[in-house]
Amino acid sequence: MSFFSLLPEGCITDIISFTSPRDSCRASAISPTFKSAAESDIVWEKFLPSDYQEIISRSVSPVVHSTKKELYFLLCNSPILLDESKLSFTLNKWSGKKCYMLRARELSIAWKDGPQYWKWTSLPESRFFEVAELRAVCWLAVGGKMQTQMLSPKTTYAAYLVFKPAENSRGLEVPAKASVRFVVESQDGAKDSNDAVHLKLATDRPEHLRRLGRRAARQPNGRLRQKRGDEWIELGQFFNDHGDDGEVEMQLKEIQQLNWKTGLIVEGIELRPKE
Amino acid sequence: MATTTTETKMLTLCTSDKQQFQIEETIALQAVTIRNMVEDECASNVIPLPNVNSKIMIQIIEYLKKHVDSSVSKEDMEKFDSAFVEKKLSEIFDIILAANYLNIKNLLDICCQRVADVMKNKSPEWVRRTFNIVNDFTAEEEAKIRKEHEWAFEGVDED
Repeated sequence: MSFFSLLPEGCITDIISFTSPRDSCRASAISPTFKSAAESDIVWEKFLPSDYQEIISRSVSPVVHSTKKELYFLLCNSPILLDESKLSFTLNKWSGKKCYMLRARELSIAWKDGPQYWKWTSLPESRFFEVAELRAVCWLAVGGKMQTQMLSPKTTYAAYLVFKPAENSRGLEVPAKASVRFVVESQDGAKDSNDAVHLKLATDRPEHLRRLGRRAARQPNGRLRQKRGDEWIELGQFFNDHGDDGEVEMQLKEIQQLNWKTGLIVEGIELRPKE
Repeated sequence: MATTTTETKMLTLCTSDKQQFQIEETIALQAVTIRNMVEDECASNVIPLPNVNSKIMIQIIEYLKKHVDSSVSKEDMEKFDSAFVEKKLSEIFDIILAANYLNIKNLLDICCQRVADVMKNKSPEWVRRTFNIVNDFTAEEEAKIRKEHEWAFEGVDED
């Protein structure tokens, strides 16, 4: 005799809502009753962030969906732009946790208003209308801030600088300092995780060596990654407890060597849950 | 106790197998269904619970007695809950049915969590076999569902 055959569908729904998005998708293949339960709005409402309605109300374009499951995958598969396109929002498909990316315009970039230093341009593959292209600076400092209450609670996040080296890039091989910290009022200089990161590995090396270099850079010290032509570099990690830690500040700086640096296209800073 | 001045109000619950359970009202009222029956004065002396048998009722009373006690710390309550669900799955399913009928949300949640944990990262075939579920899908229907969510089927536990 089947245990499940005695249960009302509502109980099967309850059980599935205690699994995960992935388990729930698989449960759809068990039987038609399971499929109906596993696709119910009750289940997917639980997998969506508790404030999803407030988030999608800030979207610049309407988020059209007929079921909560459809909405979940819509938010996983393509980022939506929020608050006059100041930032983008997606969900992590596995956990339903929130990911954000701040566009370059929202970042504090040293010398960004001098057209001889930084130039605002557009990149066809970028989700944002504008990106910041470094023409030439010695003092390189790019940072951003995010309210921790916007993020999923009880989650370890990593912050990444999303960028692309331009063709004419030079001087970016020097180690830069990456940091992520909570902005604590009146108690400045709280725990600072200053790590050396590399924006670029020597690109004048032959391709096979470059690839080797990239692989080497995946070790904790380098942390350079690539996706769809973008590169990203981890700036640091933090644990978002209840979202009441105020603001988190992420930064990348090269203010020691002070060599001339050119050709860096900054798309933004992304916050993603660490698996 | 002899020192108490007000007498503790008691309720009598009658299970499907006609067993009667006398329990304190404060304990029983945690079940929303019983509370509604008492508030609506549908039940004067004996509350009939035709959907719950005495074997399950004993366990539910054990749970309710613990949860009515406000002196138990959150940590101890969690320990109690996780020990409580260490039962055979057939019993868990019976408790789910009863907790659903009696409307005891916490109890329903911990039992559903217990079943959900068993299903975690398991293939549909494994779930069907374990719980003796008949697959009513045609081969085409099932293939379509699998195709739709390929990522969810990768890397599941070995059967």
